[in-house]
Amino acid sequence: MSNLKGKNGKLIAAAAVIALLVGGFVVRSGSGASEGGTITYLTHSEAWTHADPNRNYTGQHIAWFGSYMHRTLTAYARAEGSAGSAVVADLATDTGRASNGNKTWEFTLRDGSTFEDGSAITCEDIKYGVSRTFATDVITDGPTYAISMLDIPSAKDGSSVYKGPYSTKDNDTAAYDKAVTCSEDNKTITFNLKRAVGDFNYTVTYLSFSPVPKAKDTGDTYDLAPVSSGPYKIQKYKAKDDMVLVRNDKWSKKSDPIRNAYPDKIVVRFGLAEEVRDQLVLSDSEKNSMSLDGILPTNLPTVFNDKGDPQKAFAERALNVYDPYVRYAAFNVKKVPCLEIRRAVYFAKDAAGLLQLSGGAAFGGDPADGAIKPLMGLDYKKVKGLEDFKPAGNAAAAKALMEKAKTSCPTEYARATDPKRGLVFDSSDSDTNKKAAAIWIDSMMKNAGIVMKFNFIEPGSYYAVVLDATKQSDISAGGWAPDWANASTVIPELFTKEGGFPMSQNWDDAAYAAFKKKSDAALAEPDRKKQGQMWAELNQYVVDQMWIVPGIFSKTQEMWGSGLGGVFFWEPQGAPSFGDIYIK
Amino acid sequence: MLSYISRRLGVTFLILLGVSFTVYVIFAFLPFDPAALTCGKNCNDPGIIEANRRRLGYDLPFLTQYWVFIKGLFIGRTYGEGAALINCPAPSLGYSFQEHSCVTTLISEALPVTLSLAIGALVLWIVVGVGLGVLAARYRGKFVDSASTIFVLIGTSLPTFLTGLMLLVFVVIKWHILPFPAGNYTPFLEDPYEWAQILFLPWITLAFAYAALYTRFVRSAVIETSNEDYIRTARAKGLPESEVVGKHTLRAALAPIITMAGLDFAGLLGGAILTESVFNLPGLGRLAIGAVVEYDLPIIVATTILAAAIVVVMNLIVDILYAFIDPRVRIA
Repeated sequence: MSNLKGKNGKLIAAAAVIALLVGGFVVRSGSGASEGGTITYLTHSEAWTHADPNRNYTGQHIAWFGSYMHRTLTAYARAEGSAGSAVVADLATDTGRASNGNKTWEFTLRDGSTFEDGSAITCEDIKYGVSRTFATDVITDGPTYAISMLDIPSAKDGSSVYKGPYSTKDNDTAAYDKAVTCSEDNKTITFNLKRAVGDFNYTVTYLSFSPVPKAKDTGDTYDLAPVSSGPYKIQKYKAKDDMVLVRNDKWSKKSDPIRNAYPDKIVVRFGLAEEVRDQLVLSDSEKNSMSLDGILPTNLPTVFNDKGDPQKAFAERALNVYDPYVRYAAFNVKKVPCLEIRRAVYFAKDAAGLLQLSGGAAFGGDPADGAIKPLMGLDYKKVKGLEDFKPAGNAAAAKALMEKAKTSCPTEYARATDPKRGLVFDSSDSDTNKKAAAIWIDSMMKNAGIVMKFNFIEPGSYYAVVLDATKQSDISAGGWAPDWANASTVIPELFTKEGGFPMSQNWDDAAYAAFKKKSDAALAEPDRKKQGQMWAELNQYVVDQMWIVPGIFSKTQEMWGSGLGGVFFWEPQGAPSFGDIYIK
Repeated sequence: MLSYISRRLGVTFLILLGVSFTVYVIFAFLPFDPAALTCGKNCNDPGIIEANRRRLGYDLPFLTQYWVFIKGLFIGRTYGEGAALINCPAPSLGYSFQEHSCVTTLISEALPVTLSLAIGALVLWIVVGVGLGVLAARYRGKFVDSASTIFVLIGTSLPTFLTGLMLLVFVVIKWHILPFPAGNYTPFLEDPYEWAQILFLPWITLAFAYAALYTRFVRSAVIETSNEDYIRTARAKGLPESEVVGKHTLRAALAPIITMAGLDFAGLLGGAILTESVFNLPGLGRLAIGAVVEYDLPIIVATTILAAAIVVVMNLIVDILYAFIDPRVRIA
């Protein structure tokens, strides 16, 4: 245990050094920043998916609410590039103290942090906030890391014996009180985990670990009026209309060194027609505005040149960067157990055609070589064994693999090449996906003689279908972004049975047992560098087994009005660092 | 008259009951699981889906679900327990977990927006459509008639969303003739000027298409009526032309126009989806289309019933008005 403590101490020390460097960066980037004015965000969406911190899940929403309203125990450094992936203390005084072989984590709260009504934020408020994530029938959509990590027994049906703060029947509140404890002075919170989690201090960057005052909780409708712990509070929020944030006069920079509070007011205009939203920013008629959505494909050439660099007029107000997502097609290994066929599909695929459909190399991204993106730094290593990959498909390599499949797995071969059966690909029903289907069907037949058929699923039900092993077809389209800057939120999530997104159904595969063992070891590995190597090796293993057909390391585009300054892409959230934006 | 109205109201109630039941039947047989739409990335956990199914009431037999809905109209409904308890008082049309609000509240917020849009547009298109139609008929074959033909051609050819988008992009964003609205909607009683400013372009957009149709319709109705014997008699009697057109011709031509306007107005109250979407007005159309996209059953049922109710009630109003305008028509 002492050894682990020592290693963890190094980790904390390293984080502190990075935090200092990052702090320096923030001061520099903010040197020209000025306070005052109103920043307007424009979006086609009718409302935020969720404003309740326990229900925020997407990077953009976490970045936005985390910048303006909701604090949590730790947060990402507000810095460009990989420096932004460093974890720094937020409500806590440090980035957490681990013991018991990384199974117990302790965080002590800073003095002076308050909610918008001036009441002090206590350990009980955080404990209550975390407890809400267990009420999955009320607090829907949020991350469930607390449920999977906290040392709380499971009921016979596999669900937690603790059902959250609202349930009055068969609810084991004592189990929760044992797993999460508060010190007598109500300032230190301790999380007791069921397994070692070396990067739990990254887990608590999630807003699902934010404080919620019990007296103000209204369950589902808390989503419309969450209580602020950050520099701004809600003055008005109406779906299909707008949200207005004003300064939270109870917030103090002294107790929150990582956030800035530049504008006086922040407005989000919901429901704008996509062309209207783009034109408002393109014409710069709303100088202090920023689009929260992607740019319409028809408007991309106005903003960027063919290489994807901003045009001269947009040099200071547009970004074209890699987002955290990896697009891929997951094989249902139970239905397609033949490795040769899986590899043949990869080599036969017209990756160039599919990339073109996503906006080409300039806007769509690059062909992926695995489930981990180069943005992940430590965890990424170029995957080997894909040297025969050709953008338009390598017919020779694919056909050679199919020849092998003829003898190594004749039944699967017969099905894959039978015009009446073939391989069935699950795809969400959309015009773009139908065009992609045409490219898949054509390249499979042309380059490998594989018959591919498509099962288009209504978008709202797509993941419910493909994550159900009994309903999933042979291949399913997917996309994933790490939940924090560690492939512990990629490899186990996508490729282990216990993961949150296991579309490969690979646990009966002969190659799974060794993979799982190594994945568990990587999860428990406290040395971040060594852990990174292990994730890279596991990523290589995934591609060797072709559990997924790597698709695209995707890109995203952002644009804003000429009146705004301080915009940079916050890599770990895959979104602009909203809190650093100011009016010039 | 009173017994006629009560009979019609009784039929209206039965129609609405039928409509709501049909919507429930349609949803019961659609190939998707509304509970599976509530859990996002956590939908791989059947326990969460089941819990949400219970909370939404989709675990109940179909007829029970429908009965609970009907009961809610009279006694209200509650959802959840403890601090998460939600109470939707009567007349409850259910609770939308996607909008985090009682459906009756959502409808009561959206209806004034659509009403404001529809009434303003109706006034505009009646004034322009009837006026231009009468002028075109009166000066048949002359400049006004040719100009009205061009107006009709453009008005009927341009889809509403394109007219709206062009007005917004050019008049507001590029040429700055009008300011970009500060909000999506302001109630009339709160700030009449801002109310009108926000609705001005949507009124024009909507009225443009309808005015074109009405111009054509009024023109032909007036020309047809002008050839009637009693109009010729009126002229032979030496009545001034303004009286011939205003009192005799137009009155006869107006009856079918009122029927048409009533039904068009009812259609708009059901939701001017495209205009509301382009101009970002939080009306019934946007509410309905959003619910369809998100499979939000309570809102779909409520907006469908409301749209049906408006059509039926407007039909009733038109029938009564018809009797007052045309003395030949009498209700038995």
